[in-house]
Amino acid sequence: MSDLLLAVGILCAINTGLALLLMLAEAVIVDTRDRSITINDTQIVTVPGGRPLLAALKDRKIFIPSACGGRGSCGLCKVTVIEGAGPLLATETPWLTAEEQKSGVRLSCQVKVRRDLRIRIPEELFAVKQYQAEVATLSDLTHDIKQVTLKLLDPPEITFTAGQFVQIEVPPYALTDEPIYRAYSVASDPCQPSQIELEIRYVPNGICTTYVHKHLKVGDRVTLNGPYGTFGLRPTGRELIFIAGGSGMAPIRAILLEMARTQNPRPCRYFFGARAKRDLFLVEEMRRIETELPSFRFIPALSAPDPDDRWEGETGLITEVVGRHVTNAAQAEAYLCGSPLMIDACIQVLREKGMPEENIFYDKFA
Amino acid sequence: MEQLGFFTILFSAVFTNNILLTNYLGMCSFLGCSREIKTALGLGTAVSFVTAATSILNWLVYAYILVPFDLVYLRFIVFIVVIAAFVQLVEMIIERVSEPLYNALGIFLPLITVNCAILGVSLFMVIRNYTFWQAFGYGLGAGLGWALAILAMAGIRQRLAQRSRIPRGLEGPGIALIIAGTMALAFMGFNGMVSLN
Amino acid sequence: MTAKRNWTVFKENLGTQNPVFVQVLGICSTLAVTNVLRNTLVMCLGLVFVTALSNLTLSLLRNRIPPRIRMMVEVLVIACMVILVDIYLKAFYPDISRQLGPYVGLIITNCIIMGHAEAVALTNPPLISFVDGLSAGIGYSYVLLVIACVRELLGTGAIWGLPLLGPNWTNWSVMVMAPGGFFVLAVFIWIIKGWVMRPARKAGA
Repeated sequence: MSDLLLAVGILCAINTGLALLLMLAEAVIVDTRDRSITINDTQIVTVPGGRPLLAALKDRKIFIPSACGGRGSCGLCKVTVIEGAGPLLATETPWLTAEEQKSGVRLSCQVKVRRDLRIRIPEELFAVKQYQAEVATLSDLTHDIKQVTLKLLDPPEITFTAGQFVQIEVPPYALTDEPIYRAYSVASDPCQPSQIELEIRYVPNGICTTYVHKHLKVGDRVTLNGPYGTFGLRPTGRELIFIAGGSGMAPIRAILLEMARTQNPRPCRYFFGARAKRDLFLVEEMRRIETELPSFRFIPALSAPDPDDRWEGETGLITEVVGRHVTNAAQAEAYLCGSPLMIDACIQVLREKGMPEENIFYDKFA
Repeated sequence: MEQLGFFTILFSAVFTNNILLTNYLGMCSFLGCSREIKTALGLGTAVSFVTAATSILNWLVYAYILVPFDLVYLRFIVFIVVIAAFVQLVEMIIERVSEPLYNALGIFLPLITVNCAILGVSLFMVIRNYTFWQAFGYGLGAGLGWALAILAMAGIRQRLAQRSRIPRGLEGPGIALIIAGTMALAFMGFNGMVSLN
Repeated sequence: MTAKRNWTVFKENLGTQNPVFVQVLGICSTLAVTNVLRNTLVMCLGLVFVTALSNLTLSLLRNRIPPRIRMMVEVLVIACMVILVDIYLKAFYPDISRQLGPYVGLIITNCIIMGHAEAVALTNPPLISFVDGLSAGIGYSYVLLVIACVRELLGTGAIWGLPLLGPNWTNWSVMVMAPGGFFVLAVFIWIIKGWVMRPARKAGA
């Protein structure tokens, strides 16, 4: 018995001693004096030093998009640092092209605030605000995709362009001890600024999707921030090809609703890939848009239809279906949304059909 | 076993008993961070420093705390905690002292805590009953040996990336393992000079 | 439903998601003992035990661990499991324990265990975490057991000490030495990635 106590005592002593040493060291060694960050030469904010730029800006209510929570594994949180960042780190180089490295683009989660900084961020990030919203409706689109309608309370309206996304804050609950943020594309028409719709697919053990699918109820309060992203219709006259799979429907739907409302005459086709009939959704709405927009065609394709589906439409992988329908894409423009695998495969098909790389726009759902 | 001197142990830890090429320790970082010489140099230096320092620290903890209290079986936990705390402390100090040094080495420190080569050095030292100086020699030598192996590897891989056509199934880790095997063969030429086993 | 999910997790960890093929992770601690099949088997059993039980324990604790010291708790739980294995081997199989030397202790730093603890155990209920740990350990083990068979057979002409290749067989001694391990693992990955996993790569979209 005394042996046991001794062992536990010694172990605790070693651990506590080292923990105290580290806390002391942190207090003495780490430099936390205030630093100033000049943003776009117009706004100056003061932050305590020693923390990553991403976190420092978030504390000042400036939200740089990031999906991985500052671990340097998504490459989304790029900002241009004009001075004060120090040399490029080995943890950043994999995410930056040669041009980006030359022009001072950095990952804000890896750059620590050690000196006064001058940075440049896209103007629209200043338009990014934090919103309080209330869940107005929750409905099942398929067995694993839910549509969530959020009514904005404070501020009461949001201005965004079709194709952009917002970040939802998940409060601490069973799966997470600290609030986390996840990005979802807005699926509703920007002409209704007082409420937004999201389409959220359930991913087993996904922290946010589990929260939305298993915990969220109508009337709950949700905190979100946005809008972010540059995905959206470019104002050219080219023929359009939309390709999406699963919850990749969302931003394309927002774009199409807007096109239908403004009677946009550009010829367009929308290929939507799903596994079986139970994974298809919003088909009636797409058919309605077909009647409103004479130049629009909706082409759903199933990769593995059930025999019970009695499916008579297109079958096969979405890449095969696009390959069959599109003959010459040299003059067209494509908007892709879905999983990275699907997007890479579709880009390859479109390239084979003669579409220039700069006419392909995509939003990857990692 | 006769008493080996500090330099003998240092030499043999680098060449005849290279911790990576004969014991396969530290493979994860070895495969992951050996694409560029610059990264390899930073990581290798950081590993050398940490192995040398933690081998001393762990030797002291082992000899003056664990053995007298008959708690040798707790060595795994104690060693890993000492290593983790030391690495965090060094990261803070480097960041404060010199920014260029932090950018070159410090960013690798969080990757090192779970590098098995470092814990491996401390465990080998206990198994072989090293004295204080032998432990230090072994820790320093093992770290330098690891750095030498990853530097050589990065040099070879940089060349490979420029001019060779690698079979598809061997891209990445596969070809790196073949290179490592060839390097291990070459290092076997040092055997017979001195042995630690 | 849960049973089905358990089975899916089990299958993925053995095949398409097998960490040894996908990222060549966590081979450090075990590759060194693959020159003798018996030692590899003991090591692998120890590893399966540690992965399964540390996943289970961490999953039971998952809502109690303060986020700041999460990593610390993970390491401590894993280290405790490893100590159990170490003490057991010392007591019942002292000769094997001696032959394995420091490698049992090095299970602690095996990235696979940490990875599964982080990714699965901290977000899932106990049963599925246990199944995940068990199958991750087994998926990892069978690769190493195959490597051990090849190395021991070519290096000594025997498996488990039973001579199989007859008296005229010349031992490839390099196989039981360090370079052999690198080469056999490289060839193994080549076979898996080049032939077995290729169809999986085409099935995008």
